[in-house]
Amino acid sequence: MVEACPHLTYREAGDGATFDGADFGEPRAFCTVTESFVQPMRADICNARYGLDPETDCEFYVEPESSSDESEHPDADR
Amino acid sequence: MTYDDYLGGKPVVVTAALTGGVHGKEAHPDLPETPEEIAAAAAACEDAGASVLHLHARRDNGERAFSTERFQEVADAVRDATDDAVLQHSTGGTGAPDALRHEPLRTDPAPEMASLDMGPLNRYDRLTSENTRELVASLHSEMRERDIKPELEVFNDGHLNESLAILDDLDEPPYLNFLFGGGTTSPPHPRNLMNRVEALPEGVEFNVIGFGPHQLPLTTQSILLGGHVRVGLEDNRYYEEGGLASNEQLVARAARIAEELGRPVATPAETREMLGLRGR
Repeated sequence: MVEACPHLTYREAGDGATFDGADFGEPRAFCTVTESFVQPMRADICNARYGLDPETDCEFYVEPESSSDESEHPDADR
Repeated sequence: MTYDDYLGGKPVVVTAALTGGVHGKEAHPDLPETPEEIAAAAAACEDAGASVLHLHARRDNGERAFSTERFQEVADAVRDATDDAVLQHSTGGTGAPDALRHEPLRTDPAPEMASLDMGPLNRYDRLTSENTRELVASLHSEMRERDIKPELEVFNDGHLNESLAILDDLDEPPYLNFLFGGGTTSPPHPRNLMNRVEALPEGVEFNVIGFGPHQLPLTTQSILLGGHVRVGLEDNRYYEEGGLASNEQLVARAARIAEELGRPVATPAETREMLGLRGR
């Protein structure tokens, strides 16, 4: 099952680009790749609703950076 | 519908598209999203001259909702806030499963009208609202069962072919809505609206949507050609370049232009008579 986009967060306040300082009341979908609130239709992709897949259906999707520390997972070939 | 209808002063049906399902408060801070906000906008638009209210439903955070229950909440709030306007539910839903697209038709009472997308439409870079013939036929069949008047959404010329192909299956008068804008909608130019109107058989009523800056000129042209108009924040967020609009302002301007051009704005009763609606 496809999961929600790892770049999706929910924020209440304006993003500085659109309606800076606006308080939306309800937290709204925010994309950490584009650094902007996303349109409601696009939020369905972000949330992987209805069979939509953020990885294939969103043109802004990028592979998330690995959080692993290389020193903890040494390359066995070295 | 013809230029003669303009000369004859036929009333203009003004539809208010209050919220849509694409953009939200990230694009316009006053875009109505909750049932209460949509109802307040509906009441203001009815007072300003709208006789048809085109409705979408959303979650509390503005994201899209397709369930019968949420449409029921919106419709109930709008009915409580308005006098006699015609409710038109959207059955659009890019990316949503076909089964969900039927849900807006199942409120109690059923809406008097509903949109019927007549074919594929691209969204963003990777989505297409497929609107297969099977889905169109299925939605149309349920509309007939529930006595709901379809407004055929003609996003481009191919959809005009699709609409003309089912004309005999439609109750009189068929009601087509021509959309003009970018992407897979028709190129927004007056000559393209002229071509559309010339292609219509006698007895067909038409409505016009122009997205963004094309809303004002193309809806005005529709008035001159004997057609009807749809305005509102779903299609256009601006009153003028750089200046955000309200739904009420856009309806009031359309009504004012129609009156100035000699076509009175249709009351809900006149709208029902012209479009063959039987009320609820």
